[in-house]
Amino acid sequence: MTQTVRGTGPGPETSPAAASSPAALSATYVYAVCRGCDPEVFAGLPGQAPGAPVRLLRFGALEAVVQDVPAASFGEEALRERLGDRAELERCARAHHAVIAAAAATAATLPLPLATLYLGDGRARAALSADASRFLDALRRIAGRVEWGVKVYAGREVRRGPGTERRNAGTGTPGRVAAPDGPDDKAARGTAARPGHAYLERLRGVRQEREQRQEAGLGAAEAVDRALGGLAVASRRLRSHDTAVTGGRGAQLLNAAYLVAEGRRDEVAEAVGAVRERPECRGVEVELTGPWVPYSFVDGGERDARG
Amino acid sequence: MTTSDPRDPPGAVHRPASEGRTGRLELDPDRVGRDLVCLVLTVVELLRQLMERQALHRCDLGDVSDDQIERIGTTLMLLDERMDELCVQHGLTRDDLNLDLGPLGTLLER
Repeated sequence: MTQTVRGTGPGPETSPAAASSPAALSATYVYAVCRGCDPEVFAGLPGQAPGAPVRLLRFGALEAVVQDVPAASFGEEALRERLGDRAELERCARAHHAVIAAAAATAATLPLPLATLYLGDGRARAALSADASRFLDALRRIAGRVEWGVKVYAGREVRRGPGTERRNAGTGTPGRVAAPDGPDDKAARGTAARPGHAYLERLRGVRQEREQRQEAGLGAAEAVDRALGGLAVASRRLRSHDTAVTGGRGAQLLNAAYLVAEGRRDEVAEAVGAVRERPECRGVEVELTGPWVPYSFVDGGERDARG
Repeated sequence: MTTSDPRDPPGAVHRPASEGRTGRLELDPDRVGRDLVCLVLTVVELLRQLMERQALHRCDLGDVSDDQIERIGTTLMLLDERMDELCVQHGLTRDDLNLDLGPLGTLLER
């Protein structure tokens, strides 16, 4: 769950507790890099370690938004344990986002990944300074732009499996022809005496329906990607969430982020709306979120998350 | 290496595919037994679905007689019923019979 800052300088230590001397009881947690940020905006924000203030750490022309956190609870082991817990991860992510959103409200802000940690301010400054030119490039790239997220989910299956209607067809009671009782039982009437044929027919129907749903979803994903790709200065495909996380929804067919100039909110909403309206996209769920601080465009944006 | 993205709604997190449902192994004997049954039934269900697919394919090709189709269909239907019974016996639902392959999706189609 930790991610290192890319660059030529000394990398961040994600395991301060393990690597450090016993004297180093606190680590420096870096939220973001910004330019011209007002430290007042962080007043009252708990961040990752309530009690310690969220503050600015200057390096060159830039400043990092940092906080002292107890090294013991941010060691490699402790972090893995905590971020493996969904509720704790959510709390950490929200705290991280709250600080970044506060910074972004007043200054050009480059968010850093969750749990970017250094062994103290000195190490943080050295590592960040080594990456200063990359940060400046990225700040230029995202200046005046926001991120919009789009997720497309395939529609859910309406009926489950070919076996669902089996009981209606009466094949559970051998030797007796079932009384048709459903709207689409015309087929069942013809095949009720031949339950094997009826089962295969239902199987075929279920498969066809699933294929149609899949196709509609992929079509919607492509359409929305084309529409927003036209508005965006950069786009990025993110890793799809697995179904355990997306809950009751269908498979996630698109999880993409678009870097769009500020103030084009209506155009973005319109583009997504137009895809939702398409008759072939009925049942497909298109979710739009944003505007966000451009989390997904810190390192370029042409790269694919899968790569 | 994954990035947790604070933009995501509550509970929606990127997780490495190697993590299980809870991210750790349960060593409770009852649970292990149930999980093993679930895994075995998942594999059986995969084979059953492959058979169904193959059967439809063969019927489409038209090289099976009407009687054979009827027999194949009846057999598959009974297998489907049997799966339901096995699930009930072990306190599982058909939706439990699946494996999450992370970015690859699920083993069985939903």
